[in-house]
Amino acid sequence: MSVLTTSRATHAPTGRLTGTKPLLRASVKHDGRLFAPWIAIVTALSASSVLVYPWVFPSAMDRMALAIAIGANPALSLIFGPAHDLSSVDGFNAWRSLALGGFFTALGATFAVTRATRGQEDSGQAELLASGVMGREARLLTGVGIAVIGSILLGVVSSLVTVLCGGAWDASLLLGATFTATGWMFASVAAVTAQLGSDARTANSMAVGTLGSLFVLRGFAQSMDAPAWTVWVNPLGWPMETQPAGANRWWPLVFALVLTAAMLVVAFVLQARRDFGQGAIAPRPGPDRGSARSTWSLALRLNRGPLVTWTIAFVLLGIVFGYFATSVTDIASSDSAIAGVLAAGVVTPEAIVQAFLVMVLSLVGILAAIPGVQTMLKVRSEELEDRVEPLIATALSRPRYYASHVVVALVSSTFFVLVAGTVIAILTSTADMGVGFGDVLLQAVVTVPAVWTIVAVSVAVIGARPIVSLAAWGGVLASFGLTLLGPTFGLPDWALGVSPFWHVPKVMADNPDAMGLVWVSLFTFAFLAVGFVGFRRRDLAR
Amino acid sequence: MSTADAVIEVEGLTKSYGKFQALTGLDLQVQRGEVHGFLGPNGAGKSTTIRVLLGLLKADSGRVRVLGGDPWNDVVALHRRLAYVPGDVSLWPGMTGGEAIDLLGALRGGLDERRRADLIERFELDPTKRGRQYSKGNRQKVAVVAALASDVELLVLDEPTSGLDPLMENVFQEVIGEATKRGATVLLSSHILAELETLADRLSIIRDGRIVQEGTLADLRGNTRTAIHAVLDRQPDAAVLAALHGVRLEGSRLTATVESSHIGDAMASLTPYGITSLTVEPPSLESLFLRLYDDSPEATR
Repeated sequence: MSVLTTSRATHAPTGRLTGTKPLLRASVKHDGRLFAPWIAIVTALSASSVLVYPWVFPSAMDRMALAIAIGANPALSLIFGPAHDLSSVDGFNAWRSLALGGFFTALGATFAVTRATRGQEDSGQAELLASGVMGREARLLTGVGIAVIGSILLGVVSSLVTVLCGGAWDASLLLGATFTATGWMFASVAAVTAQLGSDARTANSMAVGTLGSLFVLRGFAQSMDAPAWTVWVNPLGWPMETQPAGANRWWPLVFALVLTAAMLVVAFVLQARRDFGQGAIAPRPGPDRGSARSTWSLALRLNRGPLVTWTIAFVLLGIVFGYFATSVTDIASSDSAIAGVLAAGVVTPEAIVQAFLVMVLSLVGILAAIPGVQTMLKVRSEELEDRVEPLIATALSRPRYYASHVVVALVSSTFFVLVAGTVIAILTSTADMGVGFGDVLLQAVVTVPAVWTIVAVSVAVIGARPIVSLAAWGGVLASFGLTLLGPTFGLPDWALGVSPFWHVPKVMADNPDAMGLVWVSLFTFAFLAVGFVGFRRRDLAR
Repeated sequence: MSTADAVIEVEGLTKSYGKFQALTGLDLQVQRGEVHGFLGPNGAGKSTTIRVLLGLLKADSGRVRVLGGDPWNDVVALHRRLAYVPGDVSLWPGMTGGEAIDLLGALRGGLDERRRADLIERFELDPTKRGRQYSKGNRQKVAVVAALASDVELLVLDEPTSGLDPLMENVFQEVIGEATKRGATVLLSSHILAELETLADRLSIIRDGRIVQEGTLADLRGNTRTAIHAVLDRQPDAAVLAALHGVRLEGSRLTATVESSHIGDAMASLTPYGITSLTVEPPSLESLFLRLYDDSPEATR
């Protein structure tokens, strides 16, 4: 370490950023396209609202009905934030895209920074680069550079396309600027976590965990009518407070710039202090004998860290959603339109609570499929890193190896739904609001087969066509899009029915229909069969 | 050429990746109890062959038998009886070397505890380090210990020593010797010529997806030329020199090469010219391999 410090001192300050320019150019060329999907997603999100809105909600009456429907389902405002004005195209777009667009940009920026820093250190590329004519800060600066440029591009493209599709200039530009600002903030967060975690997976988990927590807290603070400071202390609250198409304020974005600059300073200080390839925590010697002696315990062992983290996340999610559910009628009736409908007896408070719970548990289900899909993608990355080959070269059959991971994926997803479901059930059943513990838990249980279906999609992809491993996320994305955004697109039932969650019976309704689950499970079996047959038949590590 | 006691029998094996033909009709025979060297230039198809033998890749065509079974269909039964050391050993980053050895051993159906401890000591391996902390050589030691600690009939080793230091290379040669004494058969892919010279009973040389030479080291040497350095009293006749190759005459010093099978004839023809000093150099392995690896089509004939 002392050698490093002196050698750095002798070169400082002239050479510390040497090499950034060529490295950035090469990185943009090779990894730049990895940012493109995020640009496409956010642009599609924003532009589609502008295109769809006049078509789906042509009259003032339709728009009023939309406002009532959204007001009656606070689960939506947990994700999207408060709807300030749903009677105009830009107001609708701002409500629908603001929070989610920023979230996706932040994800893209995070992955870009981690890939160019920790990811390269893991793969050994960074060692090649660092031995070249390259300043110590060049690689981190390049990673941040890609994310910053990508975020700018994302903001510009999304706002221009939105304007072209019929959005107003001021609102659309401000909306694009909030995406860019959110991307910048999380580029800087990822720059810090890349110094703390000692490998790419840890660094990404820390940054995405920060993003997820802030997102949930922001949604919570805004939907609960919490004191204003709870939104203002949250970095994800600043883009919301710009209120595009409403107050159209630019100044909250200054906070985002200040935070970005501060976090980057921290990141560069941390980077200068650590050794190459090391994190903040030094590894200790481990056991000389192994306890994992079967493929089942290996599958558990490989996913141990994420399993623990996700369990904590789902307990917290259950608390947030459960607490939220207990005040759902209050929140709904604070909306004057809803209050009117409630007073007229068209909708009962119980119906609102029930609809809310079904929605929230579907959301929990979609989220719980994510660790399941990650477990399956882990199979692929293990395979590509040549760690499956020595295992299959022992007396271990391919179906058994695959089954161990599939079981971990399915069981862990189930466990997460039930954990969050139990917490929500406890909180709602003790709040004296007309729903029993059993009802809520049962609703969580009937959500599980739908979760299996989307995990099974990834089982099929990794087993049969691992080249397109990104398609493993197909089930999650489709369900998320159809369940949350589908209704705002005015999609017909057959299209919404593509999402397995559409078939989840509403056990608290009068005549719950369980047939949907049978159909959904048939698809699950088909996907699993494709995955297992594919994994048995294909060449490994190709 | 099929023998009842062949542990590995491959005939006419082909395998392609998309348009790229990795194996083009490969034949390979490995007899029980021998150490069979398997060598060839980079990208010739060594690892592809080994992966087919292990049932990791499916053969496009050809007949493949390993320990009397079909490697693609009888995976589990066969793998109980063999152990494998991959060319690129990749360990689980968070798992210690000791844990990896125990996992692989347990999956193969158990390992010999005494031998495990003995191998760890002889290879000077620290089993408490995590996968991500090991150097290339140490990762290889983990894989070698895991493979050799089990009692198996067949060891498939894909460049197992490319990262080991010379001391460890010696240990490796010792333990392979012990394994063959126990009756194990070894398929050893390697570029380390000294290692093959010490260990290999027979060699197969692969190029462009097929075997171009096969036999004992002596057989292969027989095909190449021996160098002769002689100091003669008189200059030999042109007719005598014509029977030699690469003749260089500097005064009374003659340097030439001759087919190994014709050394006696060459000596007989040179003796009349009064040999005062003579050195006969058997073909070095290096020159042998350089010739066999050589890309010109004529070189392999």
